[in-house]
Amino acid sequence: MIQLRGIQKRFRDGASTVTVLDGVDLSVHAGEMAAVVGPSGSGKSTLLYVAGALDADFEGEALVAGESLRGLSEERRARLRNEAVGFVFQSFNLLPAMSALENVLLPAFFERGGERRADAPAHPREAAREALARVGLAEKAHRRPGELSGGERQRVAIARALFARPRVLLADEPTGNLDLATGQEIVEIFLGLARAGLAVLVATHEERVSAACGRVWRLDHGRLVP
Amino acid sequence: MTFGRLVKLARLDLRADRRGALLDGAAACAGAAALVFFVALGLGVGQAARRMFPSEARAVEVVPAAVALGSVLGGGKLDDEAVLRLAALSGVAEAHPKLNCRVPIAASRGPEGIPLNWPPGFVAQLPAVGVDPTLVKRDLGRGESFQDNGPDGPIDVVASKRLLEIYNKTIAPAWNLRRLPAGLSLLGIQLPVQVGFSIVPQKTEDRVYESRLLLAGLSERVPVYQLALPLDTVKRLHREYQKADQGYSAVTLFAQRPEDVPPIAAAVRHMGFTVDEGERSVAERVGTVVAVTTGALALLALLMCALAALAVAQSLFATVRGRARELAILRAVGATPRDLAALVIAEAGIVGLGGGLAGLALAFAASLGADHLFARLLPDFPFRPESFFAFPWWLVLLGPAVALLSAMAGALAPARAAARAEPARALS
Repeated sequence: MIQLRGIQKRFRDGASTVTVLDGVDLSVHAGEMAAVVGPSGSGKSTLLYVAGALDADFEGEALVAGESLRGLSEERRARLRNEAVGFVFQSFNLLPAMSALENVLLPAFFERGGERRADAPAHPREAAREALARVGLAEKAHRRPGELSGGERQRVAIARALFARPRVLLADEPTGNLDLATGQEIVEIFLGLARAGLAVLVATHEERVSAACGRVWRLDHGRLVP
Repeated sequence: MTFGRLVKLARLDLRADRRGALLDGAAACAGAAALVFFVALGLGVGQAARRMFPSEARAVEVVPAAVALGSVLGGGKLDDEAVLRLAALSGVAEAHPKLNCRVPIAASRGPEGIPLNWPPGFVAQLPAVGVDPTLVKRDLGRGESFQDNGPDGPIDVVASKRLLEIYNKTIAPAWNLRRLPAGLSLLGIQLPVQVGFSIVPQKTEDRVYESRLLLAGLSERVPVYQLALPLDTVKRLHREYQKADQGYSAVTLFAQRPEDVPPIAAAVRHMGFTVDEGERSVAERVGTVVAVTTGALALLALLMCALAALAVAQSLFATVRGRARELAILRAVGATPRDLAALVIAEAGIVGLGGGLAGLALAFAASLGADHLFARLLPDFPFRPESFFAFPWWLVLLGPAVALLSAMAGALAPARAAARAEPARALS
């Protein structure tokens, strides 16, 4: 479901060039939860953005949800993010003026016309409620992020990632801002999603998260070490 | 992204920054309100001026030259032959001779059936001009004729459409006469007159007889200070009182198109006649002053709209910078750079349209207030309009449209900035 081969990513820093990813090979299959660990600034987030078609400026081969990301048009990459990839971030990244339900509905605004996936939600509002119910927040659909706890906010973010029924879930330090118990709840949700058939790739520096994953890679100086 | 979703998302986003949206909307509102208010004022004053100084764009008033070189240049007296030659000029559609009535006509009683509180001993001298009946044919009342009825019949007359207004606002107050209600149909009324009588004793003819004027119509083509009689009636009166034939007093030419007027005027002058541009030039001068003033105020208002667009641009730039993470989230859930640009423009559009509609309402309310103020401060002069403002349908659309477009124009650069933002960088 996620296949990365020889991924290289460099940043220009003034006159010099910094290599963040240096020939990364990685694959995560459907139904699997895997983790990339490493200290802050090691390039974990960058790896997720490449795999999630948010960053197109890389070298190597990336195959995600059956699409090769190399040379993919902006339109096709947006469609892939909208339909096949769900993102969960450390700081939740919810829009504060919108309710939980409206946040979950966000991907529906960018649904592309034309050929629809057979399992795409036919009734967005119902699908959003369903996604919130999956993370146990059906009762708080109309609360704004400011009225929710950290764990609840992260669950709203997960519901948003699940809204379009993606095949790939990318989570960047999903428990970084949560206490131990809440973080464990989130890990349990991810494990459940993997069991349901999603390919889940988590970038984390927390042992308790990586311990729950089937496979763990360490990102060290731009290279993955098993 | 569909248009409906775009608008819905833009509205949700605006809700997040109500204060900014209100400030931008206020800027758009001020621009639109100023534009609509000043243009409506210009149009309203222009309409009033046209009622006050009507002029036909196709008309050329020909009068004999003060110093006639008739035999040399073919000008001189405006006789029937001259009328034929004028009618034959290129671009002339109609030629209507006019003849000032040199037989005095005076009224010493008010019109029959209308109580005017006519002061005892008051005599009104009625200047008259004989006109070709076809000149005023379109303005005759239903069933009314405009012809010479002979010495024993009533004298058909056509008066200026502005007469009632002038009478009510100027003559009646000055002579303490009763005002006539607005909208009163004066057609068919008869005014007893004395033909041959003048308020200047030396000008009274040897023979004075009683007759009646019958108002057959009201026309813009009749000067406000004269009554129009059928040309044949004036010719008959001149014969009865043995007035020498001095030719016509004037000939009104109508060009086929307004743009034919200058060459016709040039040809008329070349024939040795004079073109009387008195009324036309007053109308043109008034029209020019109104148009220039309106244009200047509209330009000022457009400048305000441009400033509103700049304010929107500045505000949106700040908003886009502050919303970098939010925009990156939208990219993460499937937005393209084009979607983000469209979103920023849609937000500006909603703010601009809302501000424009509010500006329209504000301009309308301000016009009501200004009319109320004018009614209290200005004297009751002839042709004073009920409202100094005119709101044609296109102006009602123009205000919000200019506000919408200027706000959207102001959003173009911020939209480009939003589209260029790197989502990965903003999310890191």
